[in-house]
Amino acid sequence: MPVNPVTCDPLSSSDLLRASARRRYWRGRVQRVLVAAGASFVLLGLFAIPVYLVAAVAASRASAGVDWAHLGLLFAGSLRATACAIAVALPLGFATAMFSAHFCAPRLRAWLKPALEMLEAVPTVVLGLVAATSFAPWLKSHVATLLALLVALPALLLAAGFAFGRPSRHDGWLPLSVLPLLCAIVAFGLWLSSRAQAPWIVPASPWNATLVGLALGVAALPLVFSVAEDALFLVPREQTQAAFALGATRWQALTTVVLPAAGAGLFAAALLGIARCFGETMIVLMASGNTAIGGFDPLIGLRSLGADIALGMPDAAPASAVWRDLLVATLALLASTVLLSLAAGFVRARLQRRLHAGAAA
Amino acid sequence: MNGTRAATAATWMLGGLVGLCIATMLGLLFFTLGSGLASLRPGTLERITLADGSSRLAEVVADDGNALLLRTSETRRLGEGYERVRRGDVVARRAPVDAFMIGLGDGRRVLGIGDDAALAAAVGSVGALARVVEVLRPNALGAFEGAGIFLRRLARFVATPPDASNLAGGVLPALVGTVTLVLLMSVLVMPFGVAAAVYLHERRGVGARIVRTAIDTLAGVPAIVYGVLGLGLFVHGIGAGIDRWFYADRLPVPTFGGGGLLWAALTLALLTLPVVVVSVEQGLARIPSSLRDGSLALGATREETLWRLLLPAARPAVLTGFVLAIARAAGSVAPLMLVGMVKLAPASPLDGAFPYLHPSRQFMHLGFAVYDAALASPDAIRGVPRAYACAMLLVCVVIVLNLSAILLRNRLRDRYRALES
Repeated sequence: MPVNPVTCDPLSSSDLLRASARRRYWRGRVQRVLVAAGASFVLLGLFAIPVYLVAAVAASRASAGVDWAHLGLLFAGSLRATACAIAVALPLGFATAMFSAHFCAPRLRAWLKPALEMLEAVPTVVLGLVAATSFAPWLKSHVATLLALLVALPALLLAAGFAFGRPSRHDGWLPLSVLPLLCAIVAFGLWLSSRAQAPWIVPASPWNATLVGLALGVAALPLVFSVAEDALFLVPREQTQAAFALGATRWQALTTVVLPAAGAGLFAAALLGIARCFGETMIVLMASGNTAIGGFDPLIGLRSLGADIALGMPDAAPASAVWRDLLVATLALLASTVLLSLAAGFVRARLQRRLHAGAAA
Repeated sequence: MNGTRAATAATWMLGGLVGLCIATMLGLLFFTLGSGLASLRPGTLERITLADGSSRLAEVVADDGNALLLRTSETRRLGEGYERVRRGDVVARRAPVDAFMIGLGDGRRVLGIGDDAALAAAVGSVGALARVVEVLRPNALGAFEGAGIFLRRLARFVATPPDASNLAGGVLPALVGTVTLVLLMSVLVMPFGVAAAVYLHERRGVGARIVRTAIDTLAGVPAIVYGVLGLGLFVHGIGAGIDRWFYADRLPVPTFGGGGLLWAALTLALLTLPVVVVSVEQGLARIPSSLRDGSLALGATREETLWRLLLPAARPAVLTGFVLAIARAAGSVAPLMLVGMVKLAPASPLDGAFPYLHPSRQFMHLGFAVYDAALASPDAIRGVPRAYACAMLLVCVVIVLNLSAILLRNRLRDRYRALES
């Protein structure tokens, strides 16, 4: 008995013959309509959002004008949180992507990608909880420790590489073999800081932009990683192998061949990461203190567009001025993120075309 | 030679940063799960003597190096027992073996020291006014007894409803609400998601390009924007319209015109649509073209090929999309804050009364329980252990779902590899 080679379901050829031509024709038509309906539902969903927002703002008859000053503070707050988060997510994400695509042992890589997907799946409310209730009390008195670790960690790793590093076949497993060193540095830093009598830098509030940036950076890291890694991995193997054949080391191949070819992809990853941070609500809501303060100080609290909407919308009466202002805030949020992701999509598509053309040539 | 040295050093730095990522991720997971589990473990009771001569029986809740946060006996109201003492003031700490703890239904704990007669008297006097949930001597517990109490607390946490204050008791309604919500959401999103993926797979040209851009853009739209759409369009627009037409006799009490399960599920369906489409389309694209060409060559129409060959072959991909969508939906809280998720729902959306599923009712959600217990409650510090317990449940659900999605995807890949060779 013939079976479907994939599903192993029994398959009788009379199935196909029995259906009359007319029925086959109509079935095809109906199905095509269903499929098109599904696709148009996607478009409907996409266009419903801006159309609704613009229509609702335009139809609002609230007498008071839009509170642009408040909106500006919210926008600045979102920007400050995003800037702090990007400072965490981009270096870590790019480094991880470069290592994973270019140096990593295949077995480690097969493990690393799902692991970071898992990190992406951790609900942001949990990240917000950890940041707001457990990390904030520590950070309140250890801002200087954090800064010192940020500087010392890469520097010490570089120094260790200079001192002990030999190019070897086992470089693909470096993340795991360096882990004890990493832990030792962090533990030493913590021990040193616990001996200090009074903290050097005291933030104005335990919930501040630095805290938000750390949590948000961890949340955006998997996205930055996966987009950047895809772009780096897309670079045709022939190009890197040609570089090796000409005597380049792995590092030289990375900096002279892979990075220039995939630079646009890294740029797209940065754009998507920015969009993700800009629109994230739950982490900012929980860890930022939600006070609308302007300025560029990373050690004071902030209130972001998303948090303002989440806090204000449930209590706002429809058709009131507050409601209208919240809709305007939503529109601002939507416009910035959509522009960023469209730009990223454009950059990625161009890169893909170029690399495919390069591979074909 | 020097250049090689520098390159090696740079490689070390990259590897170290990757290690940092791995450590952060593992640390985050273990911290959340560990804190959640620790919040259910019976803690040691200590008699703490201060420099001024006073002493109190308490559990040490937190220790930040300078001060101890104590939780002493709460005879009148929940949360009254929290006390902060400076470390320098503490003269002596010891854990008396005969200390006992009486846990009450409203979350209070009455502590005391004494033999079994004293314990029975305390239970009698406290139990006259409140429901006694557990009685134990935490300092005298063996490993097995401790584990038993831990398991009993875990079961009570998962399988009972909260008490009236929502600060104690279990999270069963939140769990039921979350599961009902994501299942209803997946029923709504799967047909559209699969149809859109098939469209993208079958068509080339302007239409497909527009839909693909739409999917990418939808994936980048912040979750809270979906919430605003849900509240403004679904609840205040469509819901209020339904009320005017079909439930006019009940107005001004809203039926569908207030936040509810159906609108939340629709909002989440829009939110998770890109996840489903991307996953199913990848699955369809991975099917070897020989299979498809063979079917067409045997005289099947494109539609028959799709229904009888491609979609059955892509079943694991559809399942992966389903699981990923559920995981994404279970973890998203922000949009639901606007469309019907409440701290304490008066009635469950799922019950024994016909029609069993009540899509217009408000519901409780695990993610909101985390937010509410940690930050929104009047005295946050009491709620943090409870928030971590909820977070632990949520993380477990999401991780299990994602792991199964990864396993499914691997199975799919192996199957095609077998087919191609």
